[in-house]
Amino acid sequence: MNRMPTARRCALAGGLSLCLALSWSFAETPQEDAGRRLYEEKCGMCHAAGGMGTGLLARRYPPGQELLEQRSNLTPAFIEVAVRSGIGNMPRISRAEVSDEQLALISRYLSRQATP
Amino acid sequence: MAFDLPPGLTAREFERALAAFAGAVGEQWVLATDEDRATYSDHFAIDEAAHRPSAAVAPLTVEEVQAVVRLANEHKVPLWPISRGKNFGYGGAAPRLKGSVVLDLSRMKKLEIDVENGTALVEPGVGFYDLYDYIKKNDIPLWLSVPGNSWGSVCGNALDRGVGYTTYGDHTAQICGLEVVMPDGDLVRTGMGAMTNAPTWQLYRYGFGPSWDQMFVQSNFGVVTKLGLWMMREPETMLGIDMEFDKADDLEWIVDTLAPLRREGILRQAPSIGSWLRGAAVLTTRAEWYDKPGALPDSVIDAIRKKFSMGWWSLSMRFYGPEEITAATAKVVRKAFNGRPVLSIKETAWRQGDPPELSAWAGVPITFPLQNANWHGGRGGHVGFSPVLPANGRAALAQFHRTYARYKEFGMDYHGSFAMGERHITNVNQVLFNKDDPEMMARVDKFFRALVDDATKQRYGEYRTHLDYMDLVASTYDFNDRALLRLNEKVKNALDPNGILAPGKSGIWPARYAGERS
Ligand SMILES: Cc1cc2nc3c(=O)[nH]c(=O)nc-3n(C[C@H](O)[C@H](O)[C@H](O)COP(=O)(O)OP(=O)(O)OC[C@H]3O[C@@H](n4cnc5c(N)ncnc54)[C@H](O)[C@@H]3O)c2cc1C
Repeated sequence: MNRMPTARRCALAGGLSLCLALSWSFAETPQEDAGRRLYEEKCGMCHAAGGMGTGLLARRYPPGQELLEQRSNLTPAFIEVAVRSGIGNMPRISRAEVSDEQLALISRYLSRQATP
Repeated sequence: MAFDLPPGLTAREFERALAAFAGAVGEQWVLATDEDRATYSDHFAIDEAAHRPSAAVAPLTVEEVQAVVRLANEHKVPLWPISRGKNFGYGGAAPRLKGSVVLDLSRMKKLEIDVENGTALVEPGVGFYDLYDYIKKNDIPLWLSVPGNSWGSVCGNALDRGVGYTTYGDHTAQICGLEVVMPDGDLVRTGMGAMTNAPTWQLYRYGFGPSWDQMFVQSNFGVVTKLGLWMMREPETMLGIDMEFDKADDLEWIVDTLAPLRREGILRQAPSIGSWLRGAAVLTTRAEWYDKPGALPDSVIDAIRKKFSMGWWSLSMRFYGPEEITAATAKVVRKAFNGRPVLSIKETAWRQGDPPELSAWAGVPITFPLQNANWHGGRGGHVGFSPVLPANGRAALAQFHRTYARYKEFGMDYHGSFAMGERHITNVNQVLFNKDDPEMMARVDKFFRALVDDATKQRYGEYRTHLDYMDLVASTYDFNDRALLRLNEKVKNALDPNGILAPGKSGIWPARYAGERS
């Protein structure tokens, strides 16, 4: 598994240590692991620290909550609509870029902490 | 939901074409639901429906691309090739001609790097982040040059004459050798690649006889399936000088100070002089400062500048190489600005072994500049207006005043920059808007056309433009009754008699779709 501090995971200085801390901080099921890796690959450029999505969400959420991986209120249904229909300044993502199967894994990973 | 078919096709013919594409690439990779059409539309567009595709096809291999192109000829389906389709401000993934089928090459992600020679050979789907991660993972001492929105593709960006911020920032100029699927499905390699297995494909640009690389840039003459690119070796040092300037009219002497440094090759990176809003639109929103319509008054601009310690203009320069050279360059540059009323000067330094400077000047991919679309709140966007000017202070200042007056007249907030080429300036102006404000959106088109008109009167042409304005801009290149456009269309019709490749790209229309010209 590749846990390098790549640009995707840490889009800006200061993001670096935070990103590393995040990716080591919990025990994962194999599915969560696949979902996390896909999330980093497909979404990290905007949703890691320093990315466009993180910067814009920070305007609307309390500190920490701008990072999707830390949220406990994300449901798969919400994530899937946001990805395919776009939300705010986030453009729509095609099925060639993120397939339905990949999106399901990403949604599952991001909603793992959701309180039912 | 009803949607636009490719012009001239019936629904049944279209279905048959899609079935044929599915036979070539697999059913899963023919994307033709309403949701798919929306995901390939331009979310920044003034009118998304004007460029909505009918479907997308996403091949994985060169052979599949050839098969799709041949089938498109057979079924008379126009294709719009994209690499990753993140061309925000210029059309995103959307085609010029609505109803076209997007040829999405983003699944093609092979890449090779020749570390010793500092070259890469990438397929269209290789993003700046992919290339960066690959280099880091394999500990390769090469640097990228990335655009301010690095979400896109190395190949697609270079093919649209994209720019970055290191000495390799003129991305089209770094192209060395292409592999191209021609409109009839034939496969060509340019330059030394025309010789099978030549070890020099990425080393010598021209090959033997006419050299074709630039023919496939901003054109619709072929589908590029591999692109060779020169890359910068990690420098020993990257020293820099950041400057802020207080007055809008300082632009004239800033340009005149930089122009000789660029022309003589002392400054090898193209520094960009950006207005205060370039920085501010990423850091804050308009609503935090002002709640009235119309261009921001000077008092508000002053308050924003004060809060973020910004000049009216900002300028960042970076020097790359052994410290003996970069330190001397910094000295020469500082001397050139001696005695000038610079508001503030900051020096920066990065040396090999330091933690990576996570910025576009160090070729690290970024997306945060996209935050500027949120300037007005709501679902934001922008179109880019980018005329090419001579590298001359008087000309730059006059163009700035003309443009600024138009922004005020149309009640828009000025967002401009002047990127210093070796002998020219690329004057990129972003027209930031709020798609949730119909009154503002109604002004944008007229505003844009006024900007083009003003520039044309000065005989300034644009270097790149949005789908909506490709015909307009092409028409301004008017020497001898638009002889260049006539030549382009002669070539187009000869290579692509069925007109299937990107009809309308850069204003070049094949005979088959000539009636679609705006
Ligand atoms: C805030 C912001 C900042 C930006 N900053 C910059 C910047 O600094 N520099 C810059 O250059 N751009 C910038 N952009 C514009 C744009 O986002 C980038 O240029 C981006 O890299 C383009 O998307 P892409 O790489 O996915 O190319 P694509 O969208 O894939 O390609 C662009 C066009 O090239 C043609 N094309 C692509 N692939 C092929 C192919 N294989 N064969 C034939 N034709 C092809 C098509 O016509 C396509 O529409 C910025 C945009 C925004 C919103």
